[in-house]
Amino acid sequence: MENSQLIGLSRQMVLRRKMDVIANNLANINTAGYKADNLMFKEHLMPVARMNEFQSSDRKLSYVEDDRIAHKFAPGAVVDTGNPVNAALNDEKSFFVVQGPGGERYTRNGEFDINSQGQLVTSDGLPVVGQDGPILFTTEDTNISISRDGLITSDRGEVGRFQVVTFNDMQSLKKEGYSLFAGENPVPVDAPVVLGGRVERSNVQGVVEISRMIQVTRSYTSLAKALSQVSELRSNAIDTLGKLQA
Amino acid sequence: MRALYIASTGMLAQERNVEVTSNNIANMRTTGFKKFRAEFQDLLYQDLRRTGSSTSATGTTVPVGIQIGSGVRVAATSRIMSQGSVENTGKELDVAIRGQGFFQITMPDGRVGYTRDGSFEIDNNGRLVTVDGYEVQPGITFPNDTRDITINNEGEVQVTTGNSTAVQTLGQLTLARFVNKAGLDAMGDNLYLETGASGAPQVSTPGTAGYGTLLQKHLEMANVNSVAEISDLIAAQRAYEMNSRVIKAADEMLSATSNLR
Repeated sequence: MENSQLIGLSRQMVLRRKMDVIANNLANINTAGYKADNLMFKEHLMPVARMNEFQSSDRKLSYVEDDRIAHKFAPGAVVDTGNPVNAALNDEKSFFVVQGPGGERYTRNGEFDINSQGQLVTSDGLPVVGQDGPILFTTEDTNISISRDGLITSDRGEVGRFQVVTFNDMQSLKKEGYSLFAGENPVPVDAPVVLGGRVERSNVQGVVEISRMIQVTRSYTSLAKALSQVSELRSNAIDTLGKLQA
Repeated sequence: MRALYIASTGMLAQERNVEVTSNNIANMRTTGFKKFRAEFQDLLYQDLRRTGSSTSATGTTVPVGIQIGSGVRVAATSRIMSQGSVENTGKELDVAIRGQGFFQITMPDGRVGYTRDGSFEIDNNGRLVTVDGYEVQPGITFPNDTRDITINNEGEVQVTTGNSTAVQTLGQLTLARFVNKAGLDAMGDNLYLETGASGAPQVSTPGTAGYGTLLQKHLEMANVNSVAEISDLIAAQRAYEMNSRVIKAADEMLSATSNLR
């Protein structure tokens, strides 16, 4: 195939992936604590056979490839839920710690509930990690409230305290689905700001995603047109050059 | 094309969201109704370029990989058990609970149902029953010549009968509490059932520490806030529309591909 077609194809492939990322953002526009992703591209230079005898030498070919996912950690809107054990973090870079099956995981989704054992868990039933182990409520706990520094209290007294951590390199966090992030070397946050009875909504901006989506579809279709023109050009060339002049 | 499927999970989730919201709005005037909230989570991610994989023999690694998500799912519809507003009805057998606790109701199949709906009646046998005729526990039977019924804050049911002026105590209403009342199973008819997630009930008299008090001639309204529900509905509808746009855009891209030659 000709280089122009390969280059166009490389662009179309990353555009399709970018579309997948946009679709995932929009699907999660109402997911509490969801952080939007953006697919970043980079130029991939492909050397070709060089011929420097001509006036201008052959240049390297410039392909495109997807390079990395950038998580956008801007805070989402914080809304009141009326559930006293829900919690939101009022900054951009701290996380609640939960005990996943494969070790500690980190989340911004504060839609917590109490399970049958009285333990504070996520909506998947994963225990929320407190500073002194699991956070356990008893039947005597009424009027549960969460103070701004992450202390959970009830009429009985102190119940527990949220463990809140941050990371030096936020972009290296890996999404695992189910509102969980995996990361290494968490750094404890000394003075977290926890908002009880509230959750942080998704930080997906619909307008931004839709305009990105339009951009993706338009560049995809224009590339498709360019590719078919290249193909036409080639078939014309074959027709014309292949004609035998009798 | 994956975007098609991802967007369809988004549309499904928003449909559920609208269902939950419309059920809340439909029950805006249901006594003791507790609203639901749909909770979402993102689905699993696929690694196209794994973070930390090596990029050269000298030990350089990928700092940030490429992960493509696969959409959204409804993780839970959690029940918001906040107190609804208490409204005066003037009917002497209407009882509202201020604070924690549920009335216990004997259902026809013998199980115990729990309710916050305190609109009680007296049946032909003089027993205290719900509007569906299910007996309220512990059973209270009113004499035929009952004149005045008083239910005090602590749940004591007192009456005067016939021509007598003496107040007679008939019984004591109790309240049941759960570790996790949001884990109760709603069975309709304003009744909840105990589940493994809710824990076993603890029963005590109203006014005990941790239990609410009763208020006669009042009913607890639904805790549905119509303004919040309508704005949730608008948000869900817009999200649904955006996801359908994604499907359309993905379809356009596919048709561009198929029209290549």
